[in-house]
Amino acid sequence: MTVSELIEKAGFKAATLPEPDKEITGVYIGDLLSWVMGRANSGDVWITIMSNMNILAVASLADTACILVAEDVELSQDLLTTAKQKNINVLLTELGAYEAAVKISKLI
Amino acid sequence: MKELSLNILDIAENSVKAGASLTEIRIEEDETHLTLVIKDDGCGMSEEVVKSVTDPFYTTRTTRNVGMGIPLLKMEAEITGGSFSITSKSQDEYPNDHGTTVTAVFDKTHIDFTPLGDVSASILTLIQGHPDTDFLFIHKLADRTVTLDTREIREVLEGVPIGSYEIIKWIEGFLDEQYTNQEE
Repeated sequence: MTVSELIEKAGFKAATLPEPDKEITGVYIGDLLSWVMGRANSGDVWITIMSNMNILAVASLADTACILVAEDVELSQDLLTTAKQKNINVLLTELGAYEAAVKISKLI
Repeated sequence: MKELSLNILDIAENSVKAGASLTEIRIEEDETHLTLVIKDDGCGMSEEVVKSVTDPFYTTRTTRNVGMGIPLLKMEAEITGGSFSITSKSQDEYPNDHGTTVTAVFDKTHIDFTPLGDVSASILTLIQGHPDTDFLFIHKLADRTVTLDTREIREVLEGVPIGSYEIIKWIEGFLDEQYTNQEE
């Protein structure tokens, strides 16, 4: 399933979607960035509540399919502009990490 | 990172990569705050590079010289309501007085404060990994100050390699004794 298909089926919001056709192969949940950096896999939907600029670098290093920011955490315009520039998909949901992961699990 | 001691390791590795002959690692703790200063006499950076090292994208380029260590340390300090700064003098501009200083202040009482962790292990890893450069480690606590200066140890060793197993073991005990010693 691609990121844009996930958005449609799961009802997540696209905060910025420069790479809509990226293929999703799994899910990773984590907020400790140094930890995520070495453990999230390529193609994962990475669910987090962190919202600073570093998450974009981590997503880029781990080559995740997208970042899914849970619990409707507010995102700065700066972050979204940079995400677009660096081709990183950022999605938003009001769900908690667990509920979001369960939803994705039923779809992929 | 899970522990500040891992950040310290990461930042000090940058110092060694910058050709430092001496890297100073100072930790000062009081009831509420922890201040970490890592200072080296390496090649330093231009003003322009200093500005970009806190940008996580500068550091993730494939040709990078530094890791994510700086942006992560900055974030961890700021999350607690603390502060972060980095100053540097490049060798080109200051041939006799160059190097980089990283300072991070943490509010220890903040719930998101990253624990210091096993800082002795980080210091030992640094010495073992870089036996030809010197490290000065000073950890000021409320009731004691733990100090390690590899220049002093080197003097006593008279040519015995500092990275050898026996010496590392001895340094480990030396630090441990200072941390646990009751009489001060």
